[in-house]
Amino acid sequence: MKTENRRPNGAARTVILLLFLLCGSIVSLKWAVERIPRKKIPGASIIYIPSGKYLKFATFGYSSLVADLIYLWAIQYYTTYTIVDRFENLEHIFSIIAELDPQYTDPYEVGALIAVTEARDLKLALKILDLGLAKNPDQWIFPFEAGHHAQRAGDYHTAREYYEKTMKIPGAPEIAKRLYAAAGFRVMDLEESWKTWLEVYNTAPDERTRKIASKHLYQVKAASDTILINRTAATFKEKYGRLPADLEELVRVGLLASLPKDLDGKDYIYNPKTGEIKAPSVWWKR
Amino acid sequence: MKTRAIALNTFKEAIRDRILYLLFFFAAVSLAFSRLLAVLTVGDRLKIIKDVGLASISIFGVLMAILIGTGLVYKEIDKKTIYTLLSKPIERWQFLLGKFLGLVLTLFIMTLAMSGIFLAILFLHTGKLEGQMLLAILFIFLELVLITAVAILFSCFSTPILSSIFSLSFYLIGHLSWGLETLIQKTRPGAGRAALRGLAAILPDLENFNFKTEVVHGLTIDPRFYLFSAFYGLVYTLFILALAVLIFKKRDFV
Amino acid sequence: MATVLNIDNLCKAFKIGFVPKKREILKGVSLSVEAGEIFGYLGPNGAGKTTTLKCVLSLIFPDRGKIEIFGHPSLSARAKERLGYLPENPYFYDYLTGAEFLDFYARLFGLKKKEKEEKIDSLLRLVGMEKARDLQLRKFSRGMLQRVGLAQALINDPALLFLDEPLGGLDPLGRKELRDIIVRLKKEGKTIFLCSHILQDIEMICDRVAIIVGGRVISQGALQSLISEKVLFTEVTLSGVDPADLVDLGEPVSTLGDRILLKVLQEDNIDNLMALMHERKGRIHSLIPRTETLEDIFVDMVRQG
Repeated sequence: MKTENRRPNGAARTVILLLFLLCGSIVSLKWAVERIPRKKIPGASIIYIPSGKYLKFATFGYSSLVADLIYLWAIQYYTTYTIVDRFENLEHIFSIIAELDPQYTDPYEVGALIAVTEARDLKLALKILDLGLAKNPDQWIFPFEAGHHAQRAGDYHTAREYYEKTMKIPGAPEIAKRLYAAAGFRVMDLEESWKTWLEVYNTAPDERTRKIASKHLYQVKAASDTILINRTAATFKEKYGRLPADLEELVRVGLLASLPKDLDGKDYIYNPKTGEIKAPSVWWKR
Repeated sequence: MKTRAIALNTFKEAIRDRILYLLFFFAAVSLAFSRLLAVLTVGDRLKIIKDVGLASISIFGVLMAILIGTGLVYKEIDKKTIYTLLSKPIERWQFLLGKFLGLVLTLFIMTLAMSGIFLAILFLHTGKLEGQMLLAILFIFLELVLITAVAILFSCFSTPILSSIFSLSFYLIGHLSWGLETLIQKTRPGAGRAALRGLAAILPDLENFNFKTEVVHGLTIDPRFYLFSAFYGLVYTLFILALAVLIFKKRDFV
Repeated sequence: MATVLNIDNLCKAFKIGFVPKKREILKGVSLSVEAGEIFGYLGPNGAGKTTTLKCVLSLIFPDRGKIEIFGHPSLSARAKERLGYLPENPYFYDYLTGAEFLDFYARLFGLKKKEKEEKIDSLLRLVGMEKARDLQLRKFSRGMLQRVGLAQALINDPALLFLDEPLGGLDPLGRKELRDIIVRLKKEGKTIFLCSHILQDIEMICDRVAIIVGGRVISQGALQSLISEKVLFTEVTLSGVDPADLVDLGEPVSTLGDRILLKVLQEDNIDNLMALMHERKGRIHSLIPRTETLEDIFVDMVRQG
């Protein structure tokens, strides 16, 4: 009798033990599998969708939501560093998102960010941002960021173009102008740079901006003057075989009409031994 | 009024249907989940919450309309409760209209409840009430009304499972309308194209009620669009109901 | 007496099956019901009783034939105001309580609030369902559903009442109560159209009957005229007499203790039997003449049909 009572209990106990074991093995299996480096992550079949245009048909009016979900997935995908070739489809995935919800600004920005910082592909980043601007001509953020990316990569010409585009969009921040002018200085288009900085100075809404503008104006003038003086000194050297003793000599021999002064009216400092010309003040300390 | 009696009775029946609460539960879960999902994104968190929220209200609303609507008339015929009903001095169209209005009332309450949760979640996140959302939800509701009419139409002559499939297909086709447009443009002019054009005219364009994307991005819409959509919805609903009345009128209840 | 219901050559065929094959259910049904009577409509299962009823109530649309109620040619809303209908195996909305259920139907007739509440109370009392007033219909037993179903049929105080198998599934007490209610309704001046295949009940309460077999009414008339008064045989229960002496008088059917049940075929033999009992000092416990019942007629007709 006793054994009979115990048998059903024993059976229940074995089942519970079995359940625990199975549970444990499921958990450890999953843990082990996650350690294995993988080529793709779930959902990667998104890559194979030919075009966002056709995907839009399959969303039955929920295209905005699907864009969100694909974007979320893309973020996970691009932060999975074990997938080494994940940048191959960057343009494709983000163009799908753009097709589904063209006015969703984050994906353009983030896609470009990923392109330029992780994939080190400036061209792709700019392409994505151009797409954003094409679909949303009123969003100044796209050429703005494009300018920044180009600038950081050292391509001042491209940066300058983008800053110019930004300036043209109504509602763009004032700083775009300043960045344009600064980039202009970098490419040594001193005239344009001076003109823009003067504009900024004259239309400055506050003291701080005016100060910044005046600093840059100083910088541009100093650069322009320094180039002029250096060129004149080189001509002097050619003619006379030696460096001028001081800057006035250049005026005395008639190579310069008058000695240029810096924006504050001070003289440029000349080192007759090396021929180096320096502005009296550091432009950004003024 | 007789239609009102049937409508209230239908409302009582629908509001006690367990499917309703199951779907409502999932809608609430979905809305809460949007909050979680928003944490995963880089950038605008609010957009995800709004998108998921509006989509949830839309999807679960449609499911409620279809799952309950397709059983409304069928159950009465199957369980034979319709015998005592139609032997009373009530016209068959009054019966159908009553059923329709009862379900519409139920869906209205459910939509209100889901919207309440949605706006509350938005409020917790932003600290302000987004009234614009209500506009999108209003048109989601109008779409639900139309789907209800369709579900009832199918319920008049088909079993709940088949009716559900037909109604769902109606919904999906309705959102593919501009797929049809593209197809028309790509087809060579002729009989095929004319037929497709005819089809496009009859089939509903449910995208008319879809203002979700616009509302989430805060774009302004020409008020004429709103008016057109509302009018279109009303006319199409009446069309479907008239069809249902016609089919129901001549039916033998064996 | 006015004819409240007149059916003339009603025909209805159904298309059954995936490849629709026509099946004729009603092949020309004609009958008429007079005011203030209880009319029995009998027939075997599948004869077309319920189909006839549904045609009358415009739940089904007949192929051919004429139906007149209260003299109106087709079933209009006005005619329906004076009708009541209790279907076979009634099923109602589970989630409503008894009172809510009656209230719903009352609204369909547009009854005013006070009138409605009085009506509901009196009807619940009539069918003996006052205690179930606030009980949900899903918890009702079959008999309770039947009773509340009758209440629903009476909500508008109809002049013509259609009852389809109202006594089916009731226990003997329930059947008696319902029969009494029906008779009482007749006394109030209502006309009752009763569909049934339980012949004992029909025999007890109906004035006129129609028998439908195979989609046709094969017999129609007053109940009394259908059943003759002729005595078929007499059943006698007696004791105290030797069975051998009874051989000429009748057939012994069964024996219980010292009691013998005897079937006496000829009427004259009854007198002879009585004489014998008196002579032998035996006892007659019961003497029951068996006349032709409706069942006998019915079985005959169905067999012939």
